[in-house]
Amino acid sequence: MNTNRIPHIVLAAALLLPVILAGCARSAPYPSQPLVLLCPWTAGGGTDRVARHVAVLLERELGVPVNVVNATGGAGVTGHTRGALARPNGYTLTLVTAELNMLHWRGLTNIAHSAYDPLMLINRDDAALFVRDDAPWASLNALQEAIGRAPRSLKASGTAYGGIWHVAFAGWLNAVGLSPGDVTWISINGAAPALQELMAGGLDAVCCSVPEAQALLEAGEIRCLGLMSEERLPAFPGIPTFRELGVDWAMGTWRGLMLPPGVPEPRRAVLLDAVRAVVESRDYQDFVAQAGFSPTALGPEAFAAFLAENDAQMGAILTSEAFKGVDTPPVGPMAFPYLAGALLTLNALALAFSGQLRRPADLEPMTRPGAARIALVIGVTLAYLLLAEGLGFVPAMGLAVCVLLWRFRVRWLVAAPVAALAVLAVYQVFAGYLGVPLPRGFWGG
Amino acid sequence: MGEALTQALMQTVASPRVWLVVFCASVYGTFVGAVPGLTATMAVALFIPIAYWLDPVAALAAVVTMESCAIFAGDIPSTLLRIPGTPASAAYADAAYQFTKRGQPHRALGVCLVFSVAGGLFGALVLIGLGHQLARVATLFSVTEYFWLYVLGLSCAVLVSRGSTLKATFALFLGLVLSTVGLSAAHAQARLTFGRPELFQGITFVPAMIGLFGFSEILRNMLTLDRERDAKSTPPKTRGALVGPALRLLGRRKLAFVRSGSIGALIGMLPGAGADIAAWVSFGASKRTGKPSADGDDHALSGIGDASTANSAALAGTWIPALVFGIPGDSITAIVIGVLLMKNVRPGPEIFEKQTALVYSIYLLFILANLVLIPVGLLAIKAGGAMVRVPRRILLPLILMFCIVGAYAVNGSYFDVAVMLATGILGFLLERREIPLGPVVLGIILGGPLEERFVQALSGSEGVLSALFGRPLAAALGVLCLALWAGLAAMKVRRNADSAP
Repeated sequence: MNTNRIPHIVLAAALLLPVILAGCARSAPYPSQPLVLLCPWTAGGGTDRVARHVAVLLERELGVPVNVVNATGGAGVTGHTRGALARPNGYTLTLVTAELNMLHWRGLTNIAHSAYDPLMLINRDDAALFVRDDAPWASLNALQEAIGRAPRSLKASGTAYGGIWHVAFAGWLNAVGLSPGDVTWISINGAAPALQELMAGGLDAVCCSVPEAQALLEAGEIRCLGLMSEERLPAFPGIPTFRELGVDWAMGTWRGLMLPPGVPEPRRAVLLDAVRAVVESRDYQDFVAQAGFSPTALGPEAFAAFLAENDAQMGAILTSEAFKGVDTPPVGPMAFPYLAGALLTLNALALAFSGQLRRPADLEPMTRPGAARIALVIGVTLAYLLLAEGLGFVPAMGLAVCVLLWRFRVRWLVAAPVAALAVLAVYQVFAGYLGVPLPRGFWGG
Repeated sequence: MGEALTQALMQTVASPRVWLVVFCASVYGTFVGAVPGLTATMAVALFIPIAYWLDPVAALAAVVTMESCAIFAGDIPSTLLRIPGTPASAAYADAAYQFTKRGQPHRALGVCLVFSVAGGLFGALVLIGLGHQLARVATLFSVTEYFWLYVLGLSCAVLVSRGSTLKATFALFLGLVLSTVGLSAAHAQARLTFGRPELFQGITFVPAMIGLFGFSEILRNMLTLDRERDAKSTPPKTRGALVGPALRLLGRRKLAFVRSGSIGALIGMLPGAGADIAAWVSFGASKRTGKPSADGDDHALSGIGDASTANSAALAGTWIPALVFGIPGDSITAIVIGVLLMKNVRPGPEIFEKQTALVYSIYLLFILANLVLIPVGLLAIKAGGAMVRVPRRILLPLILMFCIVGAYAVNGSYFDVAVMLATGILGFLLERREIPLGPVVLGIILGGPLEERFVQALSGSEGVLSALFGRPLAAALGVLCLALWAGLAAMKVRRNADSAP
């Protein structure tokens, strides 16, 4: 029986060998493998649109695929953290946004702009203030006076609490001598739902960028009271800036490409040239103009200077007494989790007392071989987690599938080709066609 | 409207890409549905990572087709082997198997196919008829009404669940607690993250679904893996007229068909209840109303037909609350909402106004999917014997591979694979105690919006709780919710009093 099995093992090894060799021996000049462009925000949003467009153009410049990976969540913490901690081999770029200079001031992360090597600032979008078209305030000054006359009677939104548009709005109130707490900020995630609530009468003003409000603005449903920028937008010449209206306040979001610090200088230079060519290309300029984003290009030094200045400005706002005063939402962040947790605990106790946690009679019994197989599946998954990055997807997954098939007593003659074919096909589909960065392992470089 | 309809036609029927997707999805859905132990929900959960790279219409085409096909295909092993391919076929597995025992599986399978297609089309009509009407009502809703609507949806999930109410509420609260992991939407403050930045975004949806519905199924199958050989008795060949007699039966039971279709669509609309419960209820109703004096075979086939109608009609029904309010009607639409959000399509009344073409496309896709089911279903019945015998010992390792790759793919993160593993073990343990997974998923999906609306409604009123009843519509919904719970509690108390001496 055992001697009979040996040729099968040899066969399996023979089948797996070309797989392992397939990706070997590649020491071509940089860049020789796909790049990852991390986007800290969800697919379909403004930043994602910029990222995907830049990726396509970068691909053309560099000659290798550039895959956008949406590392979303945590108000941008996840993506910004991953980008800063990525391996500095020149294969990971991050499209960083204004939140980099805000999150650390709010204590959400310790990643600040110093954790990055800035490459190029590629776009800025300034905040603007919108009210319904039938609102009683014809101008910025009228709104300001109304707020001053009756503090805490108006409601505004545009993003979640502490987001860039909230900071812009609070900074405006601060700049004109009002307290940021004089207007109740309703925490609504995103400009689109906030604008909808504005139309439904739940809000009095919305602060967001002009491209985000473009549809309602052009439909005449809302009015723009002013743009928090140094100069007017070419696409919307009718909107005055705050400065023209006598308020010394400008604030907006920005997007820039950054590297984790420590990328070898030759590789960095290649990337910088490619990014510069992209930003200056006709294609990019047309894209930003059409989407209503404002194009800006600042090289590494200017970008670094901008970052330092912007960071100090954000720090001043976010740590100011005035801004802290706003932080008194009537329902705290832990209220809901405590409520749900308490209900869960009570329910678990009720279940225990009513005896319903005992094993139901008609359930599949937990046999010893069954439990062993369950442990095996969990163990194989854990082993894959540990080994995948070092070995690479194909050998690690091939091993995992083979072990399972072997333990399930599938004959080698069936198991080996099934495992080899399935793993290779999945690799081809996911890494090849879909661009998923499956680990390439020790030959990946 | 004409323009949107034309665009929808262009996007669906006239698009070769959609046809390709529909074809692949029908094969995949049929296969997963026909293999006992693999469910329609699992088919959809494993598909999300791929949906991520498709455009919204193609992704939805795939989901609609694979669920329609999987729910029918589940009837094949339940007829041939008395092992339901998906939970939706469990209600009438015994009845259908009786025909196989007598060597006439074609009679039951023909009825299953014809009534599935007809039921699916009926459900699509209900969706088309009700979708826009409900959406018009929904535009009147502000954050407060939405708060109550979410509470109502969650309560329904508890009410309709089979088995112990306490276990259903436990599942619901567990889902709600899991939904609070990460930054709170309203405050942007981290909670229950244990310092892991990956958890700031909450428990990632895709790996959690793959874990709950894919990985946990693998674990469950591990217990019965060595019994595979016994069940391997060769299923009989299916020969004989499939469609003709079934169509004649349908013609004789028009009224009953409308009844089962309506039961299916209505139960589908209730959050948390899907095809499986629809089949049970419709089968029960059919048994009660049927005339036992009639021909015994005819009576049995009627029951099978009514249940098949209901479980297929329920599929479109589950999409109604999902599209109009963003409240999933079952676990599959919960995943669909996740896919839509990933595509930056936010379900709600606005999509009926702003993305009319997408909504019409969904209507068309339901009709298309059910028409595709006719040839695919006939082929599946012919190939049925071979399909239900694919050895799980080869299939399950490959499914594990898809679980791992799928969890990893969307964010390219190993942490997500760990999330998949953890939620998979959790799902397995919950099922071992017969705690339903549906309310858990509903809690995870609706927990975030529920909390957000709650905080928003209260921050407008400076925290006064009565603001939740501030608008007439909100007050009405609120009272309805409270009445629902009071009624449930009263029923429990009375039942306890009855059982006590």
